[in-house]
Amino acid sequence: MSKPKDIAIIGYGETPVTLRGGRSSYELAAEVMEQILEQTGIDKSEIDGLSIAETMSETSNPFWGVNTCEMLGLSPTWMQLNGLGGASGIGGIARAAAAIRDGLCETVLVLAADAQSSGQTPEQGAQRYEFMYPVGLKGPVGAFGLLSQRYRHQYGLDDRALAKLAVTQREHALLNPNGCEKLRKPLTEADYLASKYVSEPIRMLDSVMVCDGANGVLVTSTENAKRLGARKMIHPVGYGEITNFNGSQRQPDITISGFSVAGPRALRQAGMQASDVRMIMPYDDFLIAIIITLEDIGFCEKGKGAQFVLDTDMSFRGSLPLNTSGGQISAGQPGLAGGGLNLVEGVRQMFGEASARQVDDPRNCMVTGIGVIPYGRNWGVSNVLILEQS
Amino acid sequence: MSQASKHPARPLPKPNAYMDTTPFWQAANNGKLMIQYCRDTGEPQFFPRPISLANGRRNLEWREVSGKGTVYSFTNTFSAWAGHEDRTPYLCALVELEEGVRILCNLYEVKAEDVKIGMPVVLQWERLSDDIQYPAFVPANR
Repeated sequence: MSKPKDIAIIGYGETPVTLRGGRSSYELAAEVMEQILEQTGIDKSEIDGLSIAETMSETSNPFWGVNTCEMLGLSPTWMQLNGLGGASGIGGIARAAAAIRDGLCETVLVLAADAQSSGQTPEQGAQRYEFMYPVGLKGPVGAFGLLSQRYRHQYGLDDRALAKLAVTQREHALLNPNGCEKLRKPLTEADYLASKYVSEPIRMLDSVMVCDGANGVLVTSTENAKRLGARKMIHPVGYGEITNFNGSQRQPDITISGFSVAGPRALRQAGMQASDVRMIMPYDDFLIAIIITLEDIGFCEKGKGAQFVLDTDMSFRGSLPLNTSGGQISAGQPGLAGGGLNLVEGVRQMFGEASARQVDDPRNCMVTGIGVIPYGRNWGVSNVLILEQS
Repeated sequence: MSQASKHPARPLPKPNAYMDTTPFWQAANNGKLMIQYCRDTGEPQFFPRPISLANGRRNLEWREVSGKGTVYSFTNTFSAWAGHEDRTPYLCALVELEEGVRILCNLYEVKAEDVKIGMPVVLQWERLSDDIQYPAFVPANR
């Protein structure tokens, strides 16, 4: 993406996040598409591109993307299935923008839907059977336990910063009618600190709860947005992504993430510095991921993320609002649609439609994605999207 | 392991699930820890892969390593991975072998509060079945 604001996001949709809601990914996807059509007033026939995230609930079906087109009555001239885990949401926008610029399609539904908590998590295979499962590392929780322990060793980590993040996000979730009902109760810093360890030093309240849900945005060229009479639009102006950061190194520093590459790339493209960011919607599978994200993108020095959090008002009224719908940790993680949760909130804020939690002067927003847990490394995919007003 | 357990059994490795790892498991069963080396660059790597991470060629060989290392990081597991419920709490660690690779393993014969990052550890095999020994580590200075 280049700075010229030639690509526009003109609509968004989101289902409530539910725990074992029992509706399929197709049903959830349908609800989001209907919302977007209603909101934009655009005819379904205008959608000629689909950029859809992989799921946990439907991943055993290799035709999930094409089947969704059949289910929703879409006939796209360009279709993309994004397997970047929690990075698929904003990765789907970047790919849609490229396809639009290449003339493959004009109007793309960027969609994510997953009924993970209502189904079975599929097997990820490969080396896991031989070199992971016999040890008993507890999936992402265990991997973040290792990451967090090493981080604490190298830099120290003030638990009060994690507690503050937990409380800030929870207060936002209380204002989000789409948040998971089970999580919609007040939380104190003392509650966080008393939360039991699941894979020490990771606590229960450091982690997401896997739920069901769907979200999406509608992307087109700015020119086409005007032709369609879009009521509102914002623009993706910077994007960076990296998969398997430090992948050929055998002993990489696991405290450093791919955001050290993706962050500066996105900012450079947007012609911005971290201090120019009005609000941030970081991917939050674990609270410490937010701290590492802030450091590696350049909001503060490496190792100073906790201090930055303690020194910064990250509430929706603050100087750097954070995950104003509660993030995945307090609104619930709708499976592999989780990457879209904070994305949609960023778009909603910039459209000025966040009601009780509206950020004033929502001139820009940074959204990040994290995907996939590897063996003995930092996370698998890091990506950063910067959105700006017209 | 308790015979009365209501949980699934601890998962045994499934050799050769994604590539030929027979040399690793045969050696392990005989008490030898083998890892891959790139013949072109001399670089070691772990876990086993079908290609050299160093140069993208398949000119690899297996070599026995010392089994000496240090703790790179660790986590005390209270919420078990499926099949490990009867073991909680248990320690998982990334151990850095002196040859320069990291291995995900269990730590035994040490309490969680006594584990220190950088602590020297040595290999101790854990027999999981008649055919499978699994590499675990214990403190070098017990």
